[in-house]
Amino acid sequence: MARLTLRNVKKRFKETEVLHGIDLEIRDREFVVFVGPSGCGKSTLLRLIAGLDPITEGSFHLNERMMNDVAPSKRGIAMVFQSYALYPHMDVYENMAFGVRLMGLPKEEIESRISEAARMLKMEELLKRKPRELSGGQRQRVAIGRALVRKPEVFLLDEPLSNLDAALRSEVRLEIAKLHREIGGTMIYVTHDQIEAMTLADKIVVMNNGRVEQVGSPRQLFEKPANSFVGTFIGSPKMTLVDVSRSGNRLGIADGGSVPLDELPDKTPHLKLGVRPDALTVKREAEDGFTASVVYTEYLGDDSYVYARLADGTLVAIRTHPNDIFEPDEAVRINLNGSPVHFFDAESGQRLEPSAVAAH
Amino acid sequence: MPRLRLTGRTLWITALIVPPLAVMATFVAYPIGSALAYAFYDWQGLQRGEFVGLQNFYNVLFTEPFASWTQRAFMHNIIVFFSLMVIQNGTGFILAYALWRELPGAAFHRVAVFLPVVLSTVIIGFLWKLFFHPIFGPVNQIFRGVGLDFLAQPWLGQSSTALGSLIFVNAWAWIGFPTLVFLAGMQRIPTELLDAARMETDSEWVLIKKIVWPLVAPSATVVFILLFIGSFNWFELPYIMVGLDGSPFGSTDVLGLYFYRTAFGNQSAGVQDFGNGSALAVLIFLFIAVVAAFWTVRLRKREIQL
Repeated sequence: MARLTLRNVKKRFKETEVLHGIDLEIRDREFVVFVGPSGCGKSTLLRLIAGLDPITEGSFHLNERMMNDVAPSKRGIAMVFQSYALYPHMDVYENMAFGVRLMGLPKEEIESRISEAARMLKMEELLKRKPRELSGGQRQRVAIGRALVRKPEVFLLDEPLSNLDAALRSEVRLEIAKLHREIGGTMIYVTHDQIEAMTLADKIVVMNNGRVEQVGSPRQLFEKPANSFVGTFIGSPKMTLVDVSRSGNRLGIADGGSVPLDELPDKTPHLKLGVRPDALTVKREAEDGFTASVVYTEYLGDDSYVYARLADGTLVAIRTHPNDIFEPDEAVRINLNGSPVHFFDAESGQRLEPSAVAAH
Repeated sequence: MPRLRLTGRTLWITALIVPPLAVMATFVAYPIGSALAYAFYDWQGLQRGEFVGLQNFYNVLFTEPFASWTQRAFMHNIIVFFSLMVIQNGTGFILAYALWRELPGAAFHRVAVFLPVVLSTVIIGFLWKLFFHPIFGPVNQIFRGVGLDFLAQPWLGQSSTALGSLIFVNAWAWIGFPTLVFLAGMQRIPTELLDAARMETDSEWVLIKKIVWPLVAPSATVVFILLFIGSFNWFELPYIMVGLDGSPFGSTDVLGLYFYRTAFGNQSAGVQDFGNGSALAVLIFLFIAVVAAFWTVRLRKREIQL
């Protein structure tokens, strides 16, 4: 049982405030991913939860217990570090035994926990090796094993895959997901990679500039981004934001064409239109739509992405059939294909909900 | 058959190698070699006498009064080595740890601790000789000032405290060196490694014993070996502070002083004995070289690649 509650958590390093009041609720057995660009404060937040850095203001409760002043080793929290941080002078067994010995567990219990973790992570034959004799992936497993044997209530993982090569990364990603299902602890995972976030998380916390931008399931974030930052951060290739002006049921760019819509937000004459690559069509000859000029085409096998520049200079990505190859500088028209699009306030970037508009 | 041709390149190489080789041969290899050779001859003053084989070595090790002098000086060196190991290297480690953990004032102390190291030993010796002056020296004045009169002793003037005082001065002067080496070793430890350890223990002691200490092993090797060599070559400081005889009554006599006295004579004895002196020098050299090599190999084994 592990429920984490953060209330108005702030962190200052000397004069610089890096976290501006984080409120967050994490339920038992949840897999939560903190995601955001580098410098957004996600790792700092994780270190506050671990207890490695003190919380400047606000409170952090684990279950009902206030944790602000509890030592990291007494919190029932284990952490897997980006560099794995294995003790170089101890072999794998000793690395895993170090913490549990200090917890004062009996010898048999320690041995059974380590052999169980070794079996789970398929590293029984590595127990007598020193960290320097292990590959990156193996070190990663030892680091996870070291966290496992402590049977913590909460697992923290700080960018655990960033030091692995691409092939290994997706493999270990699957293993971590499986591990979470098997042991069922609460896991908090920090990454800057939105694909890791989308594939692993029950709940994603999107952070930017020391603030939480949105908390939600991967689907919620993808389908209903709370603001333009979340909209562009989640999804690959990323959502394009187009500054448009409204005129009747059409959204247009000055001297750059316009597109009709059935649903639009009220009031605002100026807004940002957020479109993902598969909500657009690109054609050489069309009467209607935004005018654009092709920059290049990315052929990916199953489909192609056409990157084109709109009249106002915005670069927009459009998913097309792999056979549709466009040449650079070709003049094209871009239209919506009826898939959902997103509207954001031109100033604040907050999401605007559309409603049906009467046809003219 | 290949001929050695003086092309531009070989000329250059020769020109660059010959001068340093010549300097090394003249000022390093030759003196060492001749000292070794001197040890096997009988000497009358500056006059070389008969070849006597190992007689000089036998003299300094087994005939009186040389044997007991050698023994006493050697014992003092051992005391110096172990005391400095505890005081200088031990405190150095603790200081380094405090500096590393950035206790308040770390920036100032980092400089302060190392400052005496750059002072010349002559200055340090002279300075502390004044400080220890039984009547006018600030050490005793301070003790009297705070009411600890029983501590106002003639520190350098009595057998029971002289060697201890020298050891203290040496530690005061050199503590910056082990501190700096340990600090550099600690700064090499990745932050995440310590964070990982802090996730598992809140005991500073466990952290030092199980993580920091094993990981600064390379620094420990360096300071241990250098201290060992320094302790058995100890000369300048005792020479300046207590003179060639290791006064009072030889209570501060160490191998360095004893060798110098034997080889070059002094005011009281006035006899030069290159034979016995060289034998002593060779023995000291062999002892240091063998032990230092042995421990270097031993200690290297427990070092860990970070």
